[in-house]
Amino acid sequence: MSASATRAELPGATRPGGPRPLNRNRNSNKAHRREAAFGWAMISLSALTILVFTAAPIVFTFVLAFFSWDIISPPEFVGFKNFAKLAGDTAVVHSFGVTAWLAILVVVLQIVIGLAMAILVQQRVSTWARSIFRTAFFLPLLVSAASISIVFSYLFDDHFGVINYYLGLLNLPQVPWLSSPAGATATIVIVAVWQQLGFVFILFTAALGSLPKDVLEAVSIDGSGPIRTFFAIKLPLISPTIFFASVIGLINAMQIFDQPYVMTKGGPGDATTTTVMLIYRTAFQNIQFGYGSAISVVLFVLLLAITGLQFYISRKWVFYS
Amino acid sequence: MGSLLSAPVGRRAVLVGGAALVGAAGLSACSPGGGGSGSGGSKTLNVAYFGTQQQADKTAKVADAFIKANPGTSVKFNGINGTDWNDFFTKVLTQIAAGNPPDIVSVATEGVQLFAQKKLAHPLDDFVKRDKDQLAPYFKDVHPSLVEAMMYDGHLYELPTDFNAGNMYFNTSLLKKSGLELPKADWTMDDFKTVATAMKKASPDAVPFDWVVRLWGSWTSFMYANGGNLVTEGKYDGGDWLWSQFYAGDAAAQGRGGGWKWGAPTATSDAVVESLDLMIELANSGLSAKPDVGGGSTLQGLFSNNKIGMAIGGGFWAGGLHNAGMGPDTFDVQFFPKWKVQRHLFGTGGYGIFESSKNKDLAWEFLKSLVDPAAIGILTEGNSTTPSRRSMMTADRYAPTGPKNWKVFYDTLDKYPNTAPIAAPPYYNAMANALNQRTTEAMSSGSAKNALAGLQKDLETAAAAIGS
Repeated sequence: MSASATRAELPGATRPGGPRPLNRNRNSNKAHRREAAFGWAMISLSALTILVFTAAPIVFTFVLAFFSWDIISPPEFVGFKNFAKLAGDTAVVHSFGVTAWLAILVVVLQIVIGLAMAILVQQRVSTWARSIFRTAFFLPLLVSAASISIVFSYLFDDHFGVINYYLGLLNLPQVPWLSSPAGATATIVIVAVWQQLGFVFILFTAALGSLPKDVLEAVSIDGSGPIRTFFAIKLPLISPTIFFASVIGLINAMQIFDQPYVMTKGGPGDATTTTVMLIYRTAFQNIQFGYGSAISVVLFVLLLAITGLQFYISRKWVFYS
Repeated sequence: MGSLLSAPVGRRAVLVGGAALVGAAGLSACSPGGGGSGSGGSKTLNVAYFGTQQQADKTAKVADAFIKANPGTSVKFNGINGTDWNDFFTKVLTQIAAGNPPDIVSVATEGVQLFAQKKLAHPLDDFVKRDKDQLAPYFKDVHPSLVEAMMYDGHLYELPTDFNAGNMYFNTSLLKKSGLELPKADWTMDDFKTVATAMKKASPDAVPFDWVVRLWGSWTSFMYANGGNLVTEGKYDGGDWLWSQFYAGDAAAQGRGGGWKWGAPTATSDAVVESLDLMIELANSGLSAKPDVGGGSTLQGLFSNNKIGMAIGGGFWAGGLHNAGMGPDTFDVQFFPKWKVQRHLFGTGGYGIFESSKNKDLAWEFLKSLVDPAAIGILTEGNSTTPSRRSMMTADRYAPTGPKNWKVFYDTLDKYPNTAPIAAPPYYNAMANALNQRTTEAMSSGSAKNALAGLQKDLETAAAAIGS
């Protein structure tokens, strides 16, 4: 049997040239359509959910940003008035500053601590114990941020909190954790980092575990020390993971809400009033949904720009091969 | 396998479908409150209740007598939980935005003007005039200041069922440990400092005085006692129809109008600045804690654990402390101390009818049933709040929970004619937010003047936005 004859006669094989028989083509199209219809049916529920609960509200928010609306009266078209007001609103500008500062602290600390812990666990902990650490570090991520924030607000309470109690026992000064701008910022960062650390830790554990062993062996034979190996070999190899963690981390951190809302209510003063808190306050408490939407749109555009910038800069420090 | 997305589904179809969905979502969200009560003209009354669903279900028994008297009707209590009234209003407004406004809503002083000004609430004037004979015993039993606090621009929007004035609670264990007794009714701000100092000395682990940041019973109580307020006080015209009908000859009703008219912000006035300065001074000297923002449940927990010596509370604190495990003799209450004046603030609660309700007549009948002594008894069970009816304030009521000096609660209204509701203009939500923010700013920075200058600006902006 010749090779060509064999190929042409294989079930399901395509004909190497020339038109296929008409009925075969029809059957193929029919099967293709059936398969596609099945696929659409499978994703339709998810697609509909995303469309109704994510895409539609996003579009609605963009539209609402050009209206003045207090829920009760009909929306009134105001053009770019909300955006013009926003530009001169010091509270909005301040909230962006607070959010950016919190986000930078949270993301940097998450990556540095998460990576350090992953390295320690990878190198110093036996294989069976690693899964325990992985589970333990990941657990806070499964608890709601609001619940965690309530617990931490008791722990960090200036007068009755456990933290200051132990500081007192050590003859250390009491820290105004929640009643001073610096203390409140630090507390929010600590809680946010503590909760999200498990995710970053898992990412880095996986990245470090999948480093090519031959490369590491070659480096070791060449006599490279652990510090040089880390900075010259491991760090570049896990740079895509660092990049991923920084992008996801920053997007999350720029939308921080639960911790400041529960622990500080944005205070003292407006020291921890983040942009999403301000959006909530403007739209849902001061009942200015148009203006709140305009701030949301600006936050969205800003996040898009920051993420784009991160991708652009990543070309210079992220190594995919 | 063939590509899933290569199926012949037209882009136009997707776009049209998407646009239709977006439009539908938008339209549904844009639906104004007038979209219907959700009861569709049926004989079911939907009540938005401030509390958990568990509490709402418990309170729902207040409707049993009404349902029995009106066969075929039902009353559904929907619990809407929140940290404070501000949080509750936000959720009710969101429910309205979703096109599902209730027929009846429980609203305290904080939200009366907000709901009335937005024309969400229906004035009760015509109903009250019609059923004047039926309501006469009720009004005779209720202090006029509570009724006036439920009025806006000459119209009555609610019948008060309960109230709470800002009195001063004492942890009697800490008081005794300091070698002191409950202060006399006419005690002063100097006496307050003396008590706080003695408590600090005798119980270094406790905080002599603690408070939370909010409009009711916060540093605002000190502000009232110092003769100040966040906004100018005035009265709307009107209301004579009510005062002449139900309170003729009652000295306490003299000078009442058509509801409190909260005017221009006065957050930078000397009295207000001095009041907040006092709070900073108390915190810096260790006589008080730096406050949290929000409800007072944490305070009650600390108070019951002998961590706090004094705190501002109303009648509802009696039930709260009892539930926290305190015995009737372990705490007591006194009037708020005199500073420039001995003036108290209060908040009152009740139920209002939504303008969009299709069952207004039935809702009114239900509202009337709620001010029956038996119904108020259920609403204030366990001294979770103070009954609006004077006749219900008895020694028996407070025997299981305390405090001994329970007469203070209603006497705050009867003996102090200058007692007034908290300032809650239609822009209450913005006011509460600004107050929270600027108070914590002042406590953190140590500068009341600067923080209150910011508050003044915030209030002016909020007032201008609402056109009042």
